[in-house]
Amino acid sequence: MLGLVLVLVFSVLSAWIGEVDPAKFWNGLPRFVSYFHDILPQLRLASLGADLEEWFWNLDGWLGLLFDTLLVAYVGTLFGAIAAFVLCFLASANLTRSATLRFASRRLLEFCRTVPEIVFALMFVYAFGFGAMPGVLAIAIHTAGALGKQFSEVVENVDMHPVDGLTATGATYVETIRFGVVPQILSNFMSYSLLRFEINVRGATVLGFVGAGGIGKELISSIRQFYYADVSAILLIIIATVFLIDWLTERLRHRLLSLDGAEQ
Amino acid sequence: MLRLEGVTKSFGDKRAVDQVSLVVPTGQLVGVIGRSGAGKSTLLRMINRLGDPSHGRILFGDTDITALKGRALRQWRARCAMIFQQFNLAGRLDVLNNVMMGRLSRVGTTRALLKLWSEDDRAIALSALDQFDMAGLAAQRADTLSGGQQQRVAIARAMVQEPDIILADEPIASLDPRNTKIVMDSLLRINKHFGITVVCNLHSLDTARAYCDRLVGMAQGKVVFDGAPQTLTDDIARDLYGLDAGEVMDTAGTALPLPVQEGRPSLAVA
Amino acid sequence: MIRQTDVDRAGLKERYPETFRTPVLAHAVYLTIVTAGAGLVVYALWRFGFSPAKFLDGLGKLGTVLTLMVPPDPGSQLWKYVAALGETLSIAFLGTLGAAILALPASMLAAKNVVANRFVHFASRRFLDSIRGIDTLIWALIWINVVGLGPFAGILAIMTSDFGSFGKLFSEAIEASDRKPVDGVTSAGGSDLHGFRFGVLPQVLPILLSQVLYYFESNTRSATIIGIVGAGGIGLYLANEIAQAEWQSVAFLILMILATVAAIDWISAKIRFAVIGRRGVVA
Repeated sequence: MLGLVLVLVFSVLSAWIGEVDPAKFWNGLPRFVSYFHDILPQLRLASLGADLEEWFWNLDGWLGLLFDTLLVAYVGTLFGAIAAFVLCFLASANLTRSATLRFASRRLLEFCRTVPEIVFALMFVYAFGFGAMPGVLAIAIHTAGALGKQFSEVVENVDMHPVDGLTATGATYVETIRFGVVPQILSNFMSYSLLRFEINVRGATVLGFVGAGGIGKELISSIRQFYYADVSAILLIIIATVFLIDWLTERLRHRLLSLDGAEQ
Repeated sequence: MLRLEGVTKSFGDKRAVDQVSLVVPTGQLVGVIGRSGAGKSTLLRMINRLGDPSHGRILFGDTDITALKGRALRQWRARCAMIFQQFNLAGRLDVLNNVMMGRLSRVGTTRALLKLWSEDDRAIALSALDQFDMAGLAAQRADTLSGGQQQRVAIARAMVQEPDIILADEPIASLDPRNTKIVMDSLLRINKHFGITVVCNLHSLDTARAYCDRLVGMAQGKVVFDGAPQTLTDDIARDLYGLDAGEVMDTAGTALPLPVQEGRPSLAVA
Repeated sequence: MIRQTDVDRAGLKERYPETFRTPVLAHAVYLTIVTAGAGLVVYALWRFGFSPAKFLDGLGKLGTVLTLMVPPDPGSQLWKYVAALGETLSIAFLGTLGAAILALPASMLAAKNVVANRFVHFASRRFLDSIRGIDTLIWALIWINVVGLGPFAGILAIMTSDFGSFGKLFSEAIEASDRKPVDGVTSAGGSDLHGFRFGVLPQVLPILLSQVLYYFESNTRSATIIGIVGAGGIGLYLANEIAQAEWQSVAFLILMILATVAAIDWISAKIRFAVIGRRGVVA
């Protein structure tokens, strides 16, 4: 009951701060509906081919930009995952005895995942100039933070018997991790990285808003300049791509889980 | 020769190992006995340096084991093979790779990380497995094997380390009588045939009496008995084990060793 | 012990040839995958016009920026920042709450065990997926066209994009619920709606609540940046200060965000713990 009252109090407070205006919403709502009406082009059955062609007049250009977006997500995820892989062992209580090192790597990961990637992108655009590289770096840093945390949680749950066994043979730290830990965690790491790739594809579509490459730049300019048909065309190919990527990664993850334990 | 001088390990206020001093001559098979929680495991782990002593020194020959660091420490561990109660294999690696872990200190890091084992190393690992009739299982994942098979893989891993001393921490506590016998017999064989020092923690007193040259009894971290098996009277045993005495002295079903003869064909490496 | 000289290599090789064989095919497959992955990275870098000199130059600039950030200082804008942070929290809170309330009925349509019609199920799933496929920032832009610039557009944007996520998560939770309590209610003469209210809801509510809290945490982060496109909150200031290279203010704003996110995470973890005990979130 107390919880419900608190939620209500916070709602009213937030509504006041957030300038919630039901009248504005109500007046705006038809515009929301008509907006979607406006952005959809007129398609006539008689001239369907020509209409579609007109709607997707810049398909090649957009697909090129979308490909950039996918590459930004791919390279960013890969670099981020590699960084996370290195850092996660340092952040794990069972493999790093030095409390200072552990504390430092945990705070670093926390910083990387808490600062939104678009903030990194804004700063990197300032430092590196417009283009896809700032986007790649922003995604890589954010991914390192997010995956680093998930990875280290996996590492902290591994069976430590093989680690002891390897240490006792005189194996180095790296060899102990390679043979005692990695076989246990690899499929989990891959699965998390694929999920993160999915998330990053979505994230990369908007990095262009701040000039960090990909389809986002084209989208924001067509929204702002009211090129209605372009907005819907771009949104549709984004949604289709996201669907495709989700479907592919999900299949891959199922394959991985069924292969779970195939060593390498 | 392994020499322990006043070795102590404290966890907070509790002393898991308390002022242990021992001298183990080369080639001896020493059984460390006592109730669980007596500090046997902690003691063995300190000799391999899986744990560091709070006080005291451990010497092997003229080397101060407790002072070793980095590469020298890893080399010591390679010379001092360890066998565990839970086998401590990498369950998701196959049997051959698990045995190869015993060769890591002799293989270059890059080759090792890529699992590019040389033909010589493969042959050595196989030959070790072959002695336990396990060579045919070389490609199997270790976690698909039974406990007894896993312990044999672990012993093969210890053997390919070509160690100077083998530490066995309750190696038979998770095994059935048949595998208990296989494991204890092979430790005895390694000890008698190759003259390698073996220090073995055992819960079962009868097994310890049957196999060991010398028994060291521990209670609450201290050495309370040190002598030949026949000098361990039932009274002392009762002091050592307290209420558990009946359980560990039950002679029924205890494995007895094979008579050992130098150079028996089955003992030689194929 | 096993010494090299003692080992009968030829004999072993004859008896266990497979152990000595190099798995050429497996190596080739592995090598191909690695090469393809690395090749794609190289191609991407080439396509993006990556050059080490430019990269180092950028790093140098970034280093300068970092030195200019110390000490973090809000200048004369502290209270504006605090107000904007309040706005950010309001956006996250109302957006999450609204999305949760709207998503509950929608998730029932998308749950197989509530609505048996396969077409409805499929259509509502794809609909939710489409909403989810569009990033919050895009929704913010669209809502700005409707209600104008300001935090209200931000609330609606978060509400819309989370509506898709919650719809999917809730329907999965409902599908995973136990059938028996529902049968109990309906066999006692209750309607299907009663069955849902008294049979399903009590089971799934703690799970849903923990998911809502988890999204509230992540929305606090989203709401900090939604201002970049003009939909209210602290993001507007952040984008402006970066554009004007006021690095001390930027650093202060980032610290404010970090502190707020940490505080929200802590509070929500406490609530989650109270609601469902120490169980992982089904994300």
